[in-house]
Amino acid sequence: MKKQIILLIAKQFFKKTFFTKGLLVLLSCFLLVLVYITITGWNAFEQHDHAVEHHQESSRKSWEDNPDKHPHRMAHFGSFTFRLQHPLRIFDSGIESYTGNSIFLEAHKQNTANFSEASLSTGLIRFGDLNIALLLQLILPLIIFFLGYSAITAEKENGTLKIMYTQGATIKEILLGKSLGLFLVSTVFFLPCLLSLWSVSFLENHTVNGAIIIRSLLITISYVLFYIILCCITILISGKSANSNKALLTLLSIWLLFFIIVPKTAQVVGNAFHPNLSKIEFKAAIEAEIAKQGDSHNPNDPYFNSLRDSILKANNVTDVKDLPFNYSGFLMSKGEEQSATIYKSQHLKLIDSYRKQNSISKRLVLFNPYLAIKNISMSFSATDFDTYVSFLSQTEKYRYEQSQYMNNLQMKFISNKAKSSEGKVHVVGKENWKSLPTFNYKYITVIKTISNQLLSILTLCVWLLLTLFFMSKSANRFKII
Amino acid sequence: MYTLLIKQFLKTKTVFLAFGILIFLSVLSISTGKQFLNQKKATIAKTVTEQQKHIETQTSLHKDDLGLLLYYLKFSFINDLNPLAGIAIGQSDVNSQIQNVTILNLEGQKYNTDLVNPMRLHVGNLDVSFLIIFLFPLVIIALNFNLLSEEIEKGTWKMITIQGKSSFNFLVKKLAIRILFVFAVLGLLFIATKFVLNIPFNDSFLHLIITSYFYILFWFAVCFFVILLRKSSNTNAIILLTSWLVLVVFLPVLVNNYVTNTYPVDEAFAMTIKQRNEYHKKWDTDKKATMDKFYTHYPQFAKYGVKEEGFSWLWYYAMQQMGDDESKQEREAMYKKIEKRELLSKKIAQFFPPLQTQLAMNTIANTSLTHQVKFLNATTKFHEDLRLQFYPKIFESNDANTVNWKKYKPILFKSETEFSLTKNLFYMALIIFILIGSSVFKNRKYFY
Repeated sequence: MKKQIILLIAKQFFKKTFFTKGLLVLLSCFLLVLVYITITGWNAFEQHDHAVEHHQESSRKSWEDNPDKHPHRMAHFGSFTFRLQHPLRIFDSGIESYTGNSIFLEAHKQNTANFSEASLSTGLIRFGDLNIALLLQLILPLIIFFLGYSAITAEKENGTLKIMYTQGATIKEILLGKSLGLFLVSTVFFLPCLLSLWSVSFLENHTVNGAIIIRSLLITISYVLFYIILCCITILISGKSANSNKALLTLLSIWLLFFIIVPKTAQVVGNAFHPNLSKIEFKAAIEAEIAKQGDSHNPNDPYFNSLRDSILKANNVTDVKDLPFNYSGFLMSKGEEQSATIYKSQHLKLIDSYRKQNSISKRLVLFNPYLAIKNISMSFSATDFDTYVSFLSQTEKYRYEQSQYMNNLQMKFISNKAKSSEGKVHVVGKENWKSLPTFNYKYITVIKTISNQLLSILTLCVWLLLTLFFMSKSANRFKII
Repeated sequence: MYTLLIKQFLKTKTVFLAFGILIFLSVLSISTGKQFLNQKKATIAKTVTEQQKHIETQTSLHKDDLGLLLYYLKFSFINDLNPLAGIAIGQSDVNSQIQNVTILNLEGQKYNTDLVNPMRLHVGNLDVSFLIIFLFPLVIIALNFNLLSEEIEKGTWKMITIQGKSSFNFLVKKLAIRILFVFAVLGLLFIATKFVLNIPFNDSFLHLIITSYFYILFWFAVCFFVILLRKSSNTNAIILLTSWLVLVVFLPVLVNNYVTNTYPVDEAFAMTIKQRNEYHKKWDTDKKATMDKFYTHYPQFAKYGVKEEGFSWLWYYAMQQMGDDESKQEREAMYKKIEKRELLSKKIAQFFPPLQTQLAMNTIANTSLTHQVKFLNATTKFHEDLRLQFYPKIFESNDANTVNWKKYKPILFKSETEFSLTKNLFYMALIIFILIGSSVFKNRKYFY
């Protein structure tokens, strides 16, 4: 195998393709769209970021502005968390449009995350989201297929393949050269996209714990691998096909099957096999579980009555009114602890059923490099399923701490004589509101993301090796004419 | 002549391939719709039994205190799915179809979502509307791209022209066979859908079918236009596929992005904060001020007066009411934004058949955003009715068992579909006409 010949063929293919009439037009359109997407995506991100920050502050301000109050009133006053987006969502917005943006956190009640972009949009949103990853994952592969389908077949049809062969170029060299050439042409398209990824990561570097540079680096490497695989496959199919028409047809079917039909079908099938509970059933399951263990709202509940008796005994008193702490605060803190544990286990079950639904498309990653790059791109852009699940569990953790903070205040400062949270008698000073820490959202670490996406990363590597192997293997049994 | 052409058509491999793919995907898309409808039906059935159980437990726990009981009691309001939703799932998987609300502050409950896997929403549904909008055009392109160019490339076109008969006629005949084939496949698809999804044959279904046929016709018109540019088969294929990519994949995404960015709905955040603050503020304000506001809203309850000392349910529910009443401005701003989004989407969509078809199908199947807003507004009404029924009973401190709880079963929301066929198809028809007209006009010298 001679390096020179490969380079020569690559150079020739690049020149020939790059200077075709249509390519410049196509490239300019592509770049124009890229610029548009980057600018609008960036603006939208900043606008959202700004809105989230503004509303987060205004929500916190109204929290802190509360006068002296009964702590349980504050526990129900609650706090809002508006979901922050990672700057890399400009590159790949993943499932962002479908995940809730605001969640209300209050005592003994787990609310859903609401106001996803999709819930406020018309049916058009289901066609997909406009972002750089759309260009890279759906459009560019098609462009590569269009540019490369006739790479070998045209040479066959013109009879030039014979000439190249008799002049001493081996089939392996021709295939590799053409793949390299095609890859170089695709570089002209995908490098600008990666450039805009990097401009995002340099300019939005101030994001707290975003680890944006390392994320961008991993994304970049993955896409380069993906395009190498894609270019090799295009050339292989062009080599295997009898004529250009057939090559184009095969490549288009591959695109349709691998990029559109398989991903959708996998999700439908996953959902059919592993249906998840509806909200009504989910809530009923939690209520049933709570009723089994004891309901703190029920004055005759055996579990909570025995708890009361043991507390009375431990403190050597006969009436809860004589306890050294506020009994109803204590009761609520126990109730909160119990319901939060039950909620957590039910919620884990729910997330688990979602994971099962996703598992089919997750396993198909092995057979479909598109799914692999899609998952990698999404998770390193922090817009994937795991990131969202982590957001939800972080908010629940904060909700629990906030409620217990209030219950503790009640136990410490509210008299046992208090009958209701109404009025200005049984109150706690407002300085306590300020000392409740704010919600601090943390993205999943890059290490964790890598381990989540190990299968996808491995798939890309295996596919790369496989295509190269097939290339050298098919070179042995190749029909030149 | 026709029999020969049909024979020739049926002998091509593409036909079988196209037919096979369509059958496979039809089965897949119909079962997607069926599964969706079944799941929703099961959920609705569960809602009915759960509500009964819920009322039974709660009434036994809090039987002496109606105010407290209604603090806990939840009532369901269900958006009953049209079976057509199995064809065009639209936004009905994103938005909650079941409202489960207490008579407290509604704005804090109305927008709660259902539990859906966001990955599934993101990947989207392979329903019949997707099949028609996304994949049928590809089949049409595959069947038509070389209709004329193949004959020219093989040299058979000259033979046809010298035979003296109108070559245009011949081309139209060839095209007609393909149109008939695709129309028949689409017809079969609809028949299968009708039986599997149990869709009654009514105006809505008819409108949906007509819209789909128009959309298919649009793609034939595009093909006709490109064929008559008289380029090579390869060029035709590339032109047609690119127009498919632009019209079906790229433009919709671009339009949606434009709409979303033009009207970001930040008001949702402002509204949700406001409704909380307004209710909670009332705990610290003068009771009389709250009650005065409440009685301005409901003068019929003014007779219950103001009790300045201590806690009362009357005051509590008045405070809750204020959360809704005093976030009205923000709420209206939010709905206005949503309306603007819808209007802009519709305005742009009418010039682009794939967008238009999707929005029209969603409208017909009651799975559009408009319908969801209607459902939300109906929820407000449902909630208001409950309040009006329970408020006087709570204020008079009635016993829980004075209420006939059996009466409170989940209520189904049904609404009329407002769809104007002419309005929705006008521009599509015009585009089809222009495409066909201009290509006939350009090529008039070839046709006699």
